[in-house]
Amino acid sequence: MNIAERIRDRRTYFDGGMGTLLQKAGLAPGELPETWNLTHPDVLTDIHLAYMNAGANVITSNTFGANCLKFENLGEIIPAAFAAMREAKARFSGDRDSVYLAFDMGPLGKMLEPLGDFPFETAVECFAKSVRIAARCGFDLILIETMSDLYETKAAVLAAKENSSLPVFVTNAYDETGHLLTGADVPAVVATLESLGADALGANCSLGPHKMLDIARQYVRHASRPVIINPNAGVPRVENGKTVFDVGAEEFAGVMRDIAALGVQALGGCCGTTPEFIRLLKEKTDDLPFAPPQKKTATTVASYTHAVTFGELPVVIGERINPTGKPKLKDALRRSDLGYLLREGIAQQEAGADVLDVNVGLGEIDETAMLTSAVKELQSVLDLPLQIDTVRPEALERALRIYNGKPLINSVNAKRKSMETVFPLMQKYGGAVIALTLGEDGIPETAEGRCALAKTILDTAATYGIDKKDILVDPLCMAVSSGEEAGRVTLDSIRLIKETLGVKTCLGVSNISFALPDRPFVTAVYLAMALENGLDCAILNPCSDEMMRTLRASVMLGGLDPHCERYIDFAVQHPRGSAFPVSVPTAQPQKKDDLPPLMYAIVKGLSAQAAAAAAELLETAPALEVIETQIIPALSLVGERFEKGALFLPQLLMSAESANAAFELAAKKLPKTEGAKDRVILATVQGDIHDIGKNIVKVLLQSFGFEVIDLGKDVPPEQVLKAVLEYDVRLVGLSALMTTTLDAMRETVALLRERAPQVQTVVGGAVLTEDYAELIGATCYAKDAMQSVHFAKRVFGR
Amino acid sequence: MSGVVLSVGSGETLSINRREAARYLGCRGDLREDAAALLALCEPEVRRAAAPRACHAVTGVSVEDDRVALDFCTIESPALAKNLSGCRSAFVFAATLGAGVDRTLLRLEKTDPAKAAVFDALASAAVEGWCNELNETLSRGLVTCPRFSPGYGGVALSYQRDVLSFLDAQRKLGITLSDRFFMTPVKSVTAIIGIRGETE
Repeated sequence: MNIAERIRDRRTYFDGGMGTLLQKAGLAPGELPETWNLTHPDVLTDIHLAYMNAGANVITSNTFGANCLKFENLGEIIPAAFAAMREAKARFSGDRDSVYLAFDMGPLGKMLEPLGDFPFETAVECFAKSVRIAARCGFDLILIETMSDLYETKAAVLAAKENSSLPVFVTNAYDETGHLLTGADVPAVVATLESLGADALGANCSLGPHKMLDIARQYVRHASRPVIINPNAGVPRVENGKTVFDVGAEEFAGVMRDIAALGVQALGGCCGTTPEFIRLLKEKTDDLPFAPPQKKTATTVASYTHAVTFGELPVVIGERINPTGKPKLKDALRRSDLGYLLREGIAQQEAGADVLDVNVGLGEIDETAMLTSAVKELQSVLDLPLQIDTVRPEALERALRIYNGKPLINSVNAKRKSMETVFPLMQKYGGAVIALTLGEDGIPETAEGRCALAKTILDTAATYGIDKKDILVDPLCMAVSSGEEAGRVTLDSIRLIKETLGVKTCLGVSNISFALPDRPFVTAVYLAMALENGLDCAILNPCSDEMMRTLRASVMLGGLDPHCERYIDFAVQHPRGSAFPVSVPTAQPQKKDDLPPLMYAIVKGLSAQAAAAAAELLETAPALEVIETQIIPALSLVGERFEKGALFLPQLLMSAESANAAFELAAKKLPKTEGAKDRVILATVQGDIHDIGKNIVKVLLQSFGFEVIDLGKDVPPEQVLKAVLEYDVRLVGLSALMTTTLDAMRETVALLRERAPQVQTVVGGAVLTEDYAELIGATCYAKDAMQSVHFAKRVFGR
Repeated sequence: MSGVVLSVGSGETLSINRREAARYLGCRGDLREDAAALLALCEPEVRRAAAPRACHAVTGVSVEDDRVALDFCTIESPALAKNLSGCRSAFVFAATLGAGVDRTLLRLEKTDPAKAAVFDALASAAVEGWCNELNETLSRGLVTCPRFSPGYGGVALSYQRDVLSFLDAQRKLGITLSDRFFMTPVKSVTAIIGIRGETE
């Protein structure tokens, strides 16, 4: 019986701590434990054997930190770890068939992008290097453990799956609040890892058994696969200069018995636990009946923080990130302006979307690259699960790979080609999918016909091992104006499909009202009808007041809103006809200075007022005049006050944004040639991940009418040069915040001087000084954001 | 790994010095009303995003000229040698506000730069407050030196690696280092506090 079978079949025991035992044997502080695989294999063999004698079934290798970032000799370290275990197993006098050797992988010690600077694919490759060596050794399984970041966990699982055929078990490290250190809760972790194909999952380290109880309970509630719980021996504290863990072996085993009784399949220990802990643990739990894992039927998707479950309250999928019929979004995509996408995403989240659809399909752009960037960018600032919406298989694969969580896929249909494309990707990367009842012959006219296609999709999915819980059927809705039965048939389909197939349903509702007057009203009524017929999830525009109002009212009238609380909260906060609130902090406007309205609005940082005042002025005055006599002077006034210390930074920024709002309106009225802006490139230098200073300069420059090409943070010198040549700019602004990145600043300036001598450079940042700027040959040193603007104006002769 | 003690704080009770935050934002002199209003507006968000955690351990110290030998590494620095002179042991600690602060900051930088600047300054003040709180707790009943961090007084940032590994801070707090020794989460601090003896 292999370990993946065994863990489903009977209670399995993992071994306990390694570090504490190695220290007892003489491992020095700061010494890497894995080096002992080469220098003290006998010590390791003894420890492994002690755990086997204590009754542990899964023995973990001393390879927690054995990755290519820490070791160059992995080819020796990993086989040596295995050899020590094999030796222990050979010496073990008990039942060797019940002992399994696990290749242990811990975190890399790097924070992945976007929080840190370590690329996802580099992490996959680092893990892969270790896995490839381990796969040749003869291990029985791979144990990925103590992972406190969901994204890194995904990288490790992918590497394990892609480079070995061994069972993959995963345990994560939670904090006291029941979250991973980067925010994921248990349902999100379970959804993501089961979807990725982990063979067993659970929690280890960080907490003692008492605090692990609730986490174990959550795992058992949500997981369909076997659950492993390996806590610490409580929390370490120092007593008379020695570390002691506050939970003894007896107490540990007692609490672990409660954990086993919850229905946990595998138990063991982590830091501070010893063979004695495992022996007592086994003794105290041996008589408890074993419960195999229970298959769960909930349909879920997850972001990197939380899961969204279908079938409870109706789920709202925001449809606005889709260029069809949206000229502004198309334009943003052509300019690679991902900021626009983010604003769309945030607005939908604030309006109440639970999931966001992401579609960037546009004929003339590289959809794979754009979709990848869009997913990365969205998941760096938004914690909603994403629905990957593309018809290109390669774009879908890239996006699924880098997605952090369990994604929703839009879509598959009953055509063979579609299923043959989508299902293998789901098999590998997991996720749930929207299944359209569209076959080789189009969309059937009857509910029975659509239900039959849905069944075809479910049956085919099953042959790929994809469960029906991961399929949401969309019976498709046609415009009612094109046939009066269109609305009815779809409603009947929703009911029939749910009843006969037992799957969740989804619908893009907007289509129904096509070509009719007062579309929002018709769509909203149809939404209410669809919900009443059992619709679980709607793809719609959450920024439409009509739709969200109808949704909340339907939920309430359907009896799903205790005390009508949610509806009342919503209705009170959104009186009819009100726009959705925008969360920008605005200082209370004070007594007016003697300024004209536009200048006043800019000085006070009131964006909406600035835009309104500009619009009014532009009706009569030429755009250039508005810019030169109002916007620029107002900004200069703000700049002066800032330099005197009369205003502080956020106020300056709010003024800049207000000026921007006004400037955008004015720029639209400028003749095209005059509208061509002066271009500036900005970058935070390589190695530096702090870009708040650069972002401030960007906002200011834009507000003064410069076009800013923002290369972001941690930008290598060559990339700056490449952009300079590509965009033909005359001014580059570089920022560095840390002393350690000053070298990168120097290299970048030197490279530009050598290869693009026509370019002027302005440098700034907390650690820079005028002297240093001069030393490295920068054209100008800016001590703050306003000085950058002054210099830019000089360069462009303004 | 050995003897490392974990502390978990709460964003709600963190001490955040708004005046200090305002100073980071270039606000000189008295905290004016509008500045105070902006800071007050952002402060709850910092508290919500922060999940303060820290861990510390005790190390032996021996100072010889400019060399400071700790249990886990030796550092050449006149400033640190001076700071720790007369100490035979010291606390080493790492403290962080957690990744939630980074996430909020990332979002604000892309959506609301003004708020991002305020949030950033408040979070800096908050991690200082968290360190002060720890410092105070650790120093109770002892005579201790002012805390000293890698990056000060010619102590290279690369010592972050030794400190974090001594404290097992990656596992305990989720603090990681970039190749150039930046810590993530960004609002993280490591420091050493020399112990001169017990108070009379």
